[in-house]
Amino acid sequence: MFAALATGTAHAQVSVMLPANPGGGWDGTGRQAMQAMIDAGIYTGGVNFTNTGGAGGTIGLAEFQNAQTGKADALAIFGAITVGAIDMNKSPIVLADFRPIARLTTEYDVIAVKADSPYQTLADFVAALKADPGAVAVGGGSAGGVDQIALALLAQAGGVDVHALNYIPQASGAETVTGIINGTLAAGFSGVSEFTQFAEQGRIRILGITAAERQASVDVPTFKEAGFDVEIGNWRGVLGSPDMPEDNYQTWVENFKKLNDSDQWHKVLETQGWAQNYLGGAEFGTFIADETTRIGTVLKDAGLVE
Amino acid sequence: MQSFELLLQGFSVALQPTNLMWALLGSVLGTAIGVLPGIGPALTIALLLPVTISVAPTSAFIMFAGVLYGAMYGGSTTSILINTPGEAGSMMTALEGNKMARAGRGAAALATAAIGSFVAGTIATILLTFAAPFIAEIAFYFKPADYFALIILAFTSVAVVMGTSRVRGFIALFLGLGLGVVGIDKMTGAARLTFGVSGLFDGIHLTVVLVSLFAVGEILYVASRYRPGVGDVITLKGQAWMTKEDWKRSWKPWLRGTALGFPMGALPAGGSEIPTMLSYTLEKKLSKHSEQFGHGAIEGVAGPEAANNAAAAGMLVPLLTLGLPTSATAAVLLAAFQNYGLQPGPFLFTSNPELIWGLIASLYIGNVMLLVLNLPLVGIWVKLLLIPRPQLYAGILVFAMIGIWGLSGQVIDLIVMVTIGIVGYVMRVYDFPIAPVLIGLILGPMAEVQLRTALAAAQGNPLVLASTPLSAIMLTIAVLFLLVPFVLKRLKANA
Amino acid sequence: MSNNPETSLPQTGTGDGARAAPRPWWLGLCVIALGCVCLYGTSTLAQGARYAGIGPGLFVTIAGGGLVILGVMLLVQIARGEQFEAQDAEDATGDEKANPVALGTALVAVILPIFTMNPLGLPITAMLSFTLVARAFASRKPLLDLVYGAVLGSAAWFLFTRLGLQLGGFLPFAGF
Repeated sequence: MFAALATGTAHAQVSVMLPANPGGGWDGTGRQAMQAMIDAGIYTGGVNFTNTGGAGGTIGLAEFQNAQTGKADALAIFGAITVGAIDMNKSPIVLADFRPIARLTTEYDVIAVKADSPYQTLADFVAALKADPGAVAVGGGSAGGVDQIALALLAQAGGVDVHALNYIPQASGAETVTGIINGTLAAGFSGVSEFTQFAEQGRIRILGITAAERQASVDVPTFKEAGFDVEIGNWRGVLGSPDMPEDNYQTWVENFKKLNDSDQWHKVLETQGWAQNYLGGAEFGTFIADETTRIGTVLKDAGLVE
Repeated sequence: MQSFELLLQGFSVALQPTNLMWALLGSVLGTAIGVLPGIGPALTIALLLPVTISVAPTSAFIMFAGVLYGAMYGGSTTSILINTPGEAGSMMTALEGNKMARAGRGAAALATAAIGSFVAGTIATILLTFAAPFIAEIAFYFKPADYFALIILAFTSVAVVMGTSRVRGFIALFLGLGLGVVGIDKMTGAARLTFGVSGLFDGIHLTVVLVSLFAVGEILYVASRYRPGVGDVITLKGQAWMTKEDWKRSWKPWLRGTALGFPMGALPAGGSEIPTMLSYTLEKKLSKHSEQFGHGAIEGVAGPEAANNAAAAGMLVPLLTLGLPTSATAAVLLAAFQNYGLQPGPFLFTSNPELIWGLIASLYIGNVMLLVLNLPLVGIWVKLLLIPRPQLYAGILVFAMIGIWGLSGQVIDLIVMVTIGIVGYVMRVYDFPIAPVLIGLILGPMAEVQLRTALAAAQGNPLVLASTPLSAIMLTIAVLFLLVPFVLKRLKANA
Repeated sequence: MSNNPETSLPQTGTGDGARAAPRPWWLGLCVIALGCVCLYGTSTLAQGARYAGIGPGLFVTIAGGGLVILGVMLLVQIARGEQFEAQDAEDATGDEKANPVALGTALVAVILPIFTMNPLGLPITAMLSFTLVARAFASRKPLLDLVYGAVLGSAAWFLFTRLGLQLGGFLPFAGF
């Protein structure tokens, strides 16, 4: 592992931009994916990681674009949060300028209420939201993130004025849980992994999940089953440098496809509790374009972006 | 009683030779890295995180326990000897500890810090063992209004207590508040006071401010007023160990610091800043030697150091029982758990008792180890002061630079370092207190989030801020803090 | 932090000695100016929000407004002859007059990394800053200081890079 950490090695072949600080989710995704790729023998060269955190990955991606455009072997990790962050921070980055390589994982969002909350189903909650949006304070991650977008989409699907929502961003998933339990928040959104253990303890009740189908990890109805056509996840993926030569691009798309099928990667997914959700090459490019349009529209409707 | 049996089992794990070795390694690494200005326990553990890939979980966490306490010890060493706290929790230690070192009482300051840390760490670990589930439960009932009131109380007490002038104390506090709002507002996504500089979007990092104000400001100030020969007067001869008098003045602050630190560290958003500060204030109020505060009062080292260590143990309560990180260090530890696919929480106590109780047992062992390791080293650390002044200050700047550059490798941080360093210089020349700046920077954003959450949840009704008994009481005390001195003055003038 | 608490009492007229106490008006003005910068920064921020009643601008306004008010209070104190006693620090006492050359040299050492860290790398930057600070503290062995600085900078670079800290290349201009 020190081989991967050592910077400035004479023959580093691939530079990987991790647009987050060490220790976070994107940092882990990038490092573990490359490590698994090396362990599986898919890739044999050296890896040179750069961490440039900040503003939902936009700072790191901007630096990546400046330094690596046209370079043969330069990759960047990013995710769903980046899409919203570009709009929110008026960042000049255009995701379509980068080469789409692969989406690797997706964590779905869940909505939870206090264990003794009057809302038994998602429909109950949306009905309350419709009656008086201001009285239903909902917590979750920072402004413009997946949690807020999930709430906005749910509200839209239920015919609630998105602009009237009382969404209160919290510093962490743990604080959202605390807020739900002590009654400050009527409900909260967060990734599945952050809420399940509190639900198993019987402190909170999960009403629904934003996945397309029921998940094995949490046996709750999807938003679609409950009658709200909403599907969204906190996905993470890999981009290639803008204008990456075609040969190198194809190689990296192929490398990540192989990684996705490797036992080493499956083991990482299992220990980290990440949900595999692969999409490669051009299809991933289409997906990014769709997400950009969809999230951009929601942010406008919610009044977060002019 | 069940806890006791499990704890014994934990000891049988932690006392295995390989695990003892990891504890020792952690303690040494933690102390060594913690001695560097600006590198506190959070950064140290973050640096060692990659190790978790190659070491068994139990061993890794036993090592981290050593790192945690070791880094806190190392932090107090730099605070006392070179007036550069490595993290917010040892800021208060620098106030009195450095004055003591300058007066030839560095060894006594280091000793009271070490023994106080040991006493507090041990008591807090015992509390952690037996009271963890109970305390963590209470934390759920603290509402945003309670946190907000607690922070307001901290603001008023710090600005009033620190320094010679109330106006200058508040100016320092508001400078900190101003620095704290820089960056993207997490609640709306609006960029505040960034003036278009993307490097400022994530705000000004605490480490940058801490290192700039303390290390850089100090270097500039001392350089401008340095006369060769003046500083070389400090010799080891006067560096006496703790006297009987010192012991007598230390033991109560140790216990009081523990009593403050542990429960507050266990609260979400508790951290070590508020308890160390309250401990300092409390000791100043209670001390028979309050006139010595600001000139090297041993109580001012003993209390906050104990509070700091007790808070570190307290922080493990919500982390282990609920998976709730309450400080930067706890967040990094949580990441370490997740590296193994472990989610801390009540289930971990049943599914992985060997790990949890091995970790708790190694906290006791690490504490003893650090005391044994560090008390004899006190003499060596104090010898740092014998390095010729030019090279000592030059070395401090190099480490300050590394601490800041290593954070994110952004030039903007170096520019901020120069700017805040100059502010630190001016503040020293015109006798402004430094600590309120950091309190404002750390607690300002917390106050803001809690205030906005409380108000938004109540749909803008300001009465919510005093709606709980705790918040009402604390806000009343805060107002009294501000008004009582004025009233007293009036009464005196009229009498 | 504090030295003589008794000097904090506002004193009237000139200082205690024969010479009049200096009146650092600029200090109050700087505090007001900082407050104005904060207030200027709020011009693009919403003060209110739908439910909380307070938006992203409010805390900035409080910080800025507070600084302006406190700056005015400081000016009033200065007008009344408030004393500012420089803090005692190790190796220096507040009574000394500032030595502009030493201060300037130390300041250069602190500013230098802004320009050298990226092109020259940490070890060389550390070497130069080390020597300059030592010079500011009247060290008369610049060559030896260069060696100390280079050794300290390189050793620290190796240690912390090995531990995973990103400190850039050893000698970026040479390509590694």
